[in-house]
Amino acid sequence: MLETHTEEVARLRGCLNDLVGIMALPALWAGGEPQQIVATLLDALFGILQLAFVFVRLNDPDAGPWIEMMRGTELLESMHPAREFGVALDASLGDALLKWLPSARVSIGTEEFCVASARLGAHGEIGIVVAGCERPGFPEQTEKLLLQVAANQAAMGLQQARVLSAQKQVARELDQRVAQRTAELAKANEELRKEIIERRLTEEKLRHEERELERSEAFLAEAQQLARIGSFSWRVVNDEITWSEQLYRIFAFEPGLRITLERVATRIHPDDLHIMREMVDRVRRGAGDLEFEHRLLMPDGSVKYLHWLAHGTGEKNGGSVYTGAVQDVTQRRHAEEALAQARSELAHVTRVTSLGVLTASIAHEVSQPLAGIVTNASTCARMLASDPPNVEGARETVRRTIRDGNRASEVITRLRDLFRGKDLIVESVDLTETTREVIALTWSELQRNRVILRPELDGTLPPVLADRVQLQQVILNLLRNASDAMVDVEDRPRELLIRTEPDGDHHVRLSVKDVGVGFVPQDVDKLFEAFHTTKKEGMGIGLSVSRSIIERHNGRLWATRNDGPGATFSFSIPCGPAGMGGAGDPGMIRTAAGIDAHHVVKNL
Amino acid sequence: MIIPRSLVSVVDDDESVRESLPDLLKEFGFDARTFSSAQEFLNSDCVGTTRCLILDVAMPGMSGPGLQRELKTRHQEIPIVFITARSDENIRPRLLEQGAVECLFKPFSDTALLEALKAALRVN
Repeated sequence: MLETHTEEVARLRGCLNDLVGIMALPALWAGGEPQQIVATLLDALFGILQLAFVFVRLNDPDAGPWIEMMRGTELLESMHPAREFGVALDASLGDALLKWLPSARVSIGTEEFCVASARLGAHGEIGIVVAGCERPGFPEQTEKLLLQVAANQAAMGLQQARVLSAQKQVARELDQRVAQRTAELAKANEELRKEIIERRLTEEKLRHEERELERSEAFLAEAQQLARIGSFSWRVVNDEITWSEQLYRIFAFEPGLRITLERVATRIHPDDLHIMREMVDRVRRGAGDLEFEHRLLMPDGSVKYLHWLAHGTGEKNGGSVYTGAVQDVTQRRHAEEALAQARSELAHVTRVTSLGVLTASIAHEVSQPLAGIVTNASTCARMLASDPPNVEGARETVRRTIRDGNRASEVITRLRDLFRGKDLIVESVDLTETTREVIALTWSELQRNRVILRPELDGTLPPVLADRVQLQQVILNLLRNASDAMVDVEDRPRELLIRTEPDGDHHVRLSVKDVGVGFVPQDVDKLFEAFHTTKKEGMGIGLSVSRSIIERHNGRLWATRNDGPGATFSFSIPCGPAGMGGAGDPGMIRTAAGIDAHHVVKNL
Repeated sequence: MIIPRSLVSVVDDDESVRESLPDLLKEFGFDARTFSSAQEFLNSDCVGTTRCLILDVAMPGMSGPGLQRELKTRHQEIPIVFITARSDENIRPRLLEQGAVECLFKPFSDTALLEALKAALRVN
């Protein structure tokens, strides 16, 4: 009895120890995965209960395939993997786990085992644990208790593990969603960043373009300043005038000052106001493009020369807008004036020099025989006065006097031949182009004389065969005559019209019309006579020479009185081969002074 | 006592002058010789005996002033009356300054020439 009691106490103590060991299991698998919990459970039960095998089948909470794990003797483990154990158990106990008995006998292969099972979870919803032992009488009461406690412990651990797993899953899903969202945000962020960069690039490009535009405008302004060119627009219907900065500078007006025609007029040179009035009238009458020059009289007394170019465009409401450019050509004009002055002086010097050389030549050539004549005559007189008179000697001196007289005469003849030179430069000449060149030469002179020049030049005239320089001399002469004829005109604009046009099929005509003093009908024939002049300082040879030149070109030069004031001088010359082809006496077109016309005009 | 007639030499490339002047000079009472160039005169035997030289200013080859300088170089200075067909008045003071007795512009009167010759001989 005592012995039994002692064994009982020892068995109970062992059981308590085992129970304590089992109760300590959760501390081992805390936070672990289900497989880890099951493995711990299998090891513990296998060791504590001294089993042949212990087997666990876990249900998958998501209705997937179950998980089977087994721990057994080396022999069993080597012969039967867990899966075969499951199949064998199913075969012995049936495939409904819930119906498995807490204890039974099963055959695995050729061996028989006593088995005890315990459900994991109150209703085996987690799975089942099956312990097998070769020992008959298994399980004993304490072994059942230990198995059940261990199963309960494992069930709680597995439950927690599942919750934890679910939580981890949720956390993973959350992490995934966070990661996905983060990725989406990162992507959106990236796109945003790209968009920002693109926008920045666009803005940069825009700013660059703006800077370019500003720079272009600055360049334009600088170019305008450098070239002294201003621009303007003028809406004629309401006199709304817009100026560029440079134009303000040219006129020395405060920037932004409202521009009116009256204000502009305050700067115009008093002698040129008529030009402005004339241009304004033309614009009001609806004239087309404009080009004119005038002077400014600045507050400091300096004078500027401006060149205007304007283009008129019509508008739907019937008004028109003039836009154009104004260039300060003061420096150019001064240079031209200096050049014209130099040319004029050079021409004068050349003329004087030529005359001087010619005079010296004439004097020398004639003086030699004259010296002989005078000496012979003196000798003759002395011989005849001597006593007795030396008649023979006197006769000889008279003979030599006659001879020297003839010699002087020959000199005169030779000089006349020299004047009548025969070299003319004939070429194909565009009358309009030639006229333009003469206008350029006389432009400043006409401006000085306040002459408003109106060229009406036909650019399509056929060429003429002519001496270009001599034609220019004629045109120059007619322009100067017209300008001179208007020098005292104060009651009307000094308009000078120069026109080139076809004259029938085979001639071209140039006309110069002035509003000057004109001439009386009875003088019409005298106009072209040499030394006839109406000018205070005139020589009266210009028209005479001009007519000679034109006639030399097989043309004619004539004058007509205008219906109004003034006169029109015109010449007409044949174009094509009829021009210089049938030339008569080429010497006729030398000027009265004997100076080569080509030489004179060239030096202008 | 016979006073020898003074020799006046004329150097001028113009034939009219060479032909007409000797007769006039003889009327004045001088001997006269003519030469068509300066070189011809220098080459002649009259350089030492000429009492007065009537000399054209502009001639082919050696000019009148050129001959004047040549004579000065040879220390054979002869009183010179220049004659010229040029009308440049500025030439006269220059020639007088360089030692000429007179400068006459062609055509000149017989009296003007005689006055010039007298002045030249007085210098001599």
